[in-house]
Amino acid sequence: MSSDVIFEAVNLRKQFGALAAVDGVSIQVRRGSLHAIIGPNGAGKTTLFNLMSGNLKPTSGRVLFNGRDITREPVHRTIHFGIGRSFQITNIFPSLTVFENIRLAAQALGRDNFKFWRSATHFTRYEARTWEVIEQVGLTARAHTAARTLPHGDQRKLELGVILAPDPEVLMLDEPTAGMASEQVPELIALIQQIQKTGDKTIMLVEHNMNVVMNVSDTITVMHMGKVLAEGAPAAIAANPAVQTAYLGGLYTLSF
Amino acid sequence: MTANLSPSLWRRWRGLLITLAAALLLPFVVGLLEGQPPTAVLANSAGVSKFVQGLAIEVFIFALYALSYDLIFGITGLLSFGHAMFFAVGAYLTGALIKSFGLPLWQTLIWVTFASVLQALLFSVVLPRVKGITFALVTLGMASVFHLMIMSRELGEFTGADVGLQGMIKPDFLNPATERLRLYYVALALLVTMYYLFKRFVDSPTGRVCVAIRENEGRALMLGYNTFRFKLAALLLSSFAAALAGALYAIYQPIISPHIASLGFTVTALLIILIGGVGTLQGALVGALVYRLLDFGLRRYMGESASFVNGLIYVLIVIFLPYGIVGTWRMKSLQLRQGWAKIGDAIPWKPNDGAAR
Repeated sequence: MSSDVIFEAVNLRKQFGALAAVDGVSIQVRRGSLHAIIGPNGAGKTTLFNLMSGNLKPTSGRVLFNGRDITREPVHRTIHFGIGRSFQITNIFPSLTVFENIRLAAQALGRDNFKFWRSATHFTRYEARTWEVIEQVGLTARAHTAARTLPHGDQRKLELGVILAPDPEVLMLDEPTAGMASEQVPELIALIQQIQKTGDKTIMLVEHNMNVVMNVSDTITVMHMGKVLAEGAPAAIAANPAVQTAYLGGLYTLSF
Repeated sequence: MTANLSPSLWRRWRGLLITLAAALLLPFVVGLLEGQPPTAVLANSAGVSKFVQGLAIEVFIFALYALSYDLIFGITGLLSFGHAMFFAVGAYLTGALIKSFGLPLWQTLIWVTFASVLQALLFSVVLPRVKGITFALVTLGMASVFHLMIMSRELGEFTGADVGLQGMIKPDFLNPATERLRLYYVALALLVTMYYLFKRFVDSPTGRVCVAIRENEGRALMLGYNTFRFKLAALLLSSFAAALAGALYAIYQPIISPHIASLGFTVTALLIILIGGVGTLQGALVGALVYRLLDFGLRRYMGESASFVNGLIYVLIVIFLPYGIVGTWRMKSLQLRQGWAKIGDAIPWKPNDGAAR
């Protein structure tokens, strides 16, 4: 059973002054599952992500990846363990091209980072990987465009491509559809599902779009005020009265 | 693909190759214009050519110095206010070792290399702790300590304190008085070599990460890069180039002036790459030429008001060429090419020359 869990938070706590943004959260992410974290604004979802991806160090508690304690590892090691993380606010290299953004991500885990006497174009395997990913996220036509000039939806795709390039086991997606035009959302969600199924990935997802969450998740964790309010399969969560009052507020009706 | 390679290589390097050819011929062309035969130029006899060579050597020194600043500021995004120290350590060490300790030049250069590594390590100590303007101020502090040391009476025996280091016996084969033509070519060769090295570095996987750090260090960390190591690599290369520029300065100038260790001299590097174009490398070369020639020309023809007019010109450059000469040039030519490509797309019978991608 324990080998079934790939990524785990044990009693995580993060204190910002008097506020416990994450207050004793334990969460187990099963291998190959799509695990969504939902909750109202300020529930601590992104802080939990920051703690698990190493962007923040917890006040107490542990983060385990494949049974290994990675709580105190520096943030640049995260991807080396096999954890890729995207951000709610697009976090890319603005004046570099789409291609270079992804190429840098592909190069990072290789052993060529300090070959300063060779041109980067010499390392064709990173470029091949880059083209693969660019095609996967559907940005081939935009490959040589500066990232900052992309429309927002394409920037979200780029953000996804950047974490796909090193081929991590776990993808942590923080509101991947944030700010996207609603007609673009299904396309991106289909892409995420395809990545999970065909690439045999584990995905952690923070998302506000309830239709999306209910349809794609295997497990949903509901957070409220820094604590876990409920956890379970989508149908159970939707039927949970505590969740209904605390978060869904009765406004959401299930639609399968 | 292969057929495409050589013209694009030529296109990429032609500007520099033409400039290099011009620099190689410059002493003789200037000599001929004055009516001096090439043999007289070869014999280092006095004349306009010799004077122009001297001015050009100063341009090369400034160019190498500014190039080294562009690598850490323009490429890697580290704002250092202590860069003058990198240069001054090279200059003063060369001067003191040759003058006070009688070392031969090659041994001196080994010590200069060693010192350049040490000073880069010194700057890197604070790198993980301070960022942005704080890094600038801490480096300013370190450089100020060095500036004070040079000016101090205690070390005056070696540094000449506030009057500068004078009376260094120049190495025979690079003596700026008797062997200026050779010094000219040595300085040119050094600049070209270092420029090529920098270009290779910036195009390499390491240099690409440095650019990524400038763009968004947080993202570079998340990609899995230990950014400290890349910043250290840039600092090391930059420090080495600046120290070599300083050594060249010590060989060429009759007096090593303490102002080269001051904040003002760091600002000179910043000014040069602002004129030329931050983060372009070529901008350091163009900027150094403009900077030195403007300074020389204005002083010669405008006398007292030179620095006023100088400042005015810099303000105008920053307003009208916000990306510097090279940066603005690149952007305009890119826009032109994209414009032509768009027009080309609209024309149904566009020639298949690969220009419109």
